[in-house]
Amino acid sequence: MLQAQSVSKSFPGVKALQDVSIEVRPNEVVGLIGENGAGKSTLMRVLAGTYRPDSGSLRLEGEELRLRNARDAAMHGIGMVFQEQSLLLNLSVAENIYLGQEHQFLRFGTVNWKAMNAAARRQLAKIGIDLDVTARTSELSFAARQMVELAKALTLEEIVDRQLVILLDEPTSVLSASDIEVLFQRVRSLKSRASFVFVSHRLDEVLAISDRVYTMKDGQVVAEHEASSVTAPELHRVMVGRGLQAEYYRESRQKPPGDKVMVEARGLCLAGAYENIDLTVSAGEIVGIAGVVGSGREELIRTIGGYSAHTAGALSVAGETVRFTSPEQAVRKGIGSVPRERRVEGLVMFLSIAENITLADLSCVMRNGAINYGKERALAADWIRRLRIKAPGPDVACRKLSGGNQQKVVLARWMTAGSRVLILDHPTRGLDVGAKEEVYDLIRDLSDQGVAILLISDTLEETIGLSHTVLVMRDGEITARHDASPGNKPDQVELVKMMV
Amino acid sequence: MDGPYSLRNFLEAGWIHGAIPPALLVVLVILIELAAPGFLTGETLALLLNNTAVLFILATGVTFVILLGGIDLSIQSVASLASVILAQLLPSVGLLAFPVAILAGLGFGTLSGIVHVKLRVPSFVATLATAGIVTGMALWISDGRAITIEEGGRAVTAWINATILGIPVVVLLAAAVGLLSFLALRYTRFGRQSLAVGAGEPAAWAAGINVDRTKIVAFAVSGMLAAIAGVILATRLSSGSPVLANQLLLPAIAAVIVGGTAITGGLGGVARTAIGALIISLVRIGMTFVGVNIFAENIVFGAVLIIAVAITIDRSKIAVIK
Repeated sequence: MLQAQSVSKSFPGVKALQDVSIEVRPNEVVGLIGENGAGKSTLMRVLAGTYRPDSGSLRLEGEELRLRNARDAAMHGIGMVFQEQSLLLNLSVAENIYLGQEHQFLRFGTVNWKAMNAAARRQLAKIGIDLDVTARTSELSFAARQMVELAKALTLEEIVDRQLVILLDEPTSVLSASDIEVLFQRVRSLKSRASFVFVSHRLDEVLAISDRVYTMKDGQVVAEHEASSVTAPELHRVMVGRGLQAEYYRESRQKPPGDKVMVEARGLCLAGAYENIDLTVSAGEIVGIAGVVGSGREELIRTIGGYSAHTAGALSVAGETVRFTSPEQAVRKGIGSVPRERRVEGLVMFLSIAENITLADLSCVMRNGAINYGKERALAADWIRRLRIKAPGPDVACRKLSGGNQQKVVLARWMTAGSRVLILDHPTRGLDVGAKEEVYDLIRDLSDQGVAILLISDTLEETIGLSHTVLVMRDGEITARHDASPGNKPDQVELVKMMV
Repeated sequence: MDGPYSLRNFLEAGWIHGAIPPALLVVLVILIELAAPGFLTGETLALLLNNTAVLFILATGVTFVILLGGIDLSIQSVASLASVILAQLLPSVGLLAFPVAILAGLGFGTLSGIVHVKLRVPSFVATLATAGIVTGMALWISDGRAITIEEGGRAVTAWINATILGIPVVVLLAAAVGLLSFLALRYTRFGRQSLAVGAGEPAAWAAGINVDRTKIVAFAVSGMLAAIAGVILATRLSSGSPVLANQLLLPAIAAVIVGGTAITGGLGGVARTAIGALIISLVRIGMTFVGVNIFAENIVFGAVLIIAVAITIDRSKIAVIK
């Protein structure tokens, strides 16, 4: 029915999709799995018309399909339920469901709200949901909003004269088990009228709902299975692409940490995010925090990086009690952050490599109170050589670098500033395998130099592989602590049990 | 439009972007030289530079703010207030009137900055409101009238209208302001941090830069330079008035943008603003030549500003234009 043929798509620094072909058949649920950064969301966006492929084509019932935007895709019967929900929170449920289709309800040039509300109620009834359609979307729970999104996608039935393809991009990642069951029932009952593409990285869910499963890895489709003929562990092996290779994470380089406690939290709380956190990070230690979205781990490391101040408890850095209300204060105490949003928070993309490296601490290139440009370029050239940053020179704008090289520039900045504590927030997100390995080497180097490191990561495997200690967080609290010395690494399955 | 040789790609190649304003300036000089040979020498050149000086100082101040991605709409009001303070105080306190007027500008600039940063009010609203307050004060102090600088006051201000080695003091002042601003932006920590905040505020913040302080300083500089411009204007015209600088906001901002500083921030500087101010001055002279009504000037500057922003704005840096 819907096919993608040899689709490729790149972004500056990232090859998101390489020669990807998939097919969606009528009345079928197709599962799409892969680790974060494998290209699942990019592929969904190509199918939904929000990204145009660099090469390759889409076909709908055999005919070539060129989608200019999401609306175009909708007109061809392709609807998407977004990972980041696309509802406008200041509008009512009915307004959201019929956003962009208000003309159906025009009467004398104005919108007939009664008719729209009635139609919205009918849409919700189709999937068996009873909601106040005049309520503001912001008042609904996350799960209810997801249902509204689904109802919105189904309105396409009324305007498109063919079977729909509904794309569900990680719909379950923030839903509770019972909400997921409700969603699955809806999908099963709608299968007679539409096809679904279901994206997730939870393998058991994918197997429960799908007929066929594609596995993606590093921007490519690496396998296709009938759901009935494959097991979750088998899929996991395909998805990760290798058995657990200790050396991938440079485990032989993992040495016992030093004695000096660099970061200590006692009863740390941030209202609404996490509470009662006790942790210590010693010099040279890598502490990884595992947890799902909403576990509070992101907020916790952002507190230590100075982004959002804790509301109770005590935090100390190198023995000194601190409470950071801005990253500036944290940087002054020797803390550096490698933020998840590398292109927004990590680097000033329009400034040069040299300017980004000295951004946190200019003093080493100042002479007589003035910036010495020669010295700055020499410093940057030195880092380019030492970290093997692939760039024509220190004056090149960071936006022209690949993701891995950008990440090296961020790390070079904190090394220049002499940071003793590093917060690594998804440090290898969007990097290809080679670039990841180089970042792992750098992280081990930093650890050797006695830098205390707090890590959160996309994959549990990376967290376990790199860390000396793994903490597990759930609902804002630490639920488990595991030693993760080489040879004594905790088991993923065990950790997952503590996470959800 | 999407081909590699499209106009937009051509304009977005970095060096082209930087080279257009100087080229435009040269073209204008040649045009004027052809229309009136010998015009740009001796006295008329001195007059041109003299006329450009005030505009340049105003534009230099607002360059600091635009580099951060903000805007300061209060500069002409602050300049007018400074002229009123100077004219009012000269008879009683003499030379001391200069620092008082300039400190007033510094104060109101700082106020705009604090309102913008601490109350999180967009800079165009913060400075528009400051402009209203400042104009109101100027009207109040002067009772709504122009205040002539009398004989005694003129003796104290005569040095500004003098020349040194044939160069007007006003031009030297503008050159000094320009040089200091250039050095501040290129060689100091503040200058680098301004550039970083303008080019990528979230990353600058995350790297430990005090974004709030950088912004407040930029607005303070803008207010101070506006007051200096107002003081010079008052001594040249021998009068202070609450509407003295009223036609200068648009040409000053046009000078910054035409010079090649990006309205979105992060790219540009004082050298570009100098080129832009000269372009605006030459266009003004050219209009007088062709006989454009003096009152119609801002029609041209408004159009120039729109065109300059429309062809230079880097839309990849901003998702939504409001």
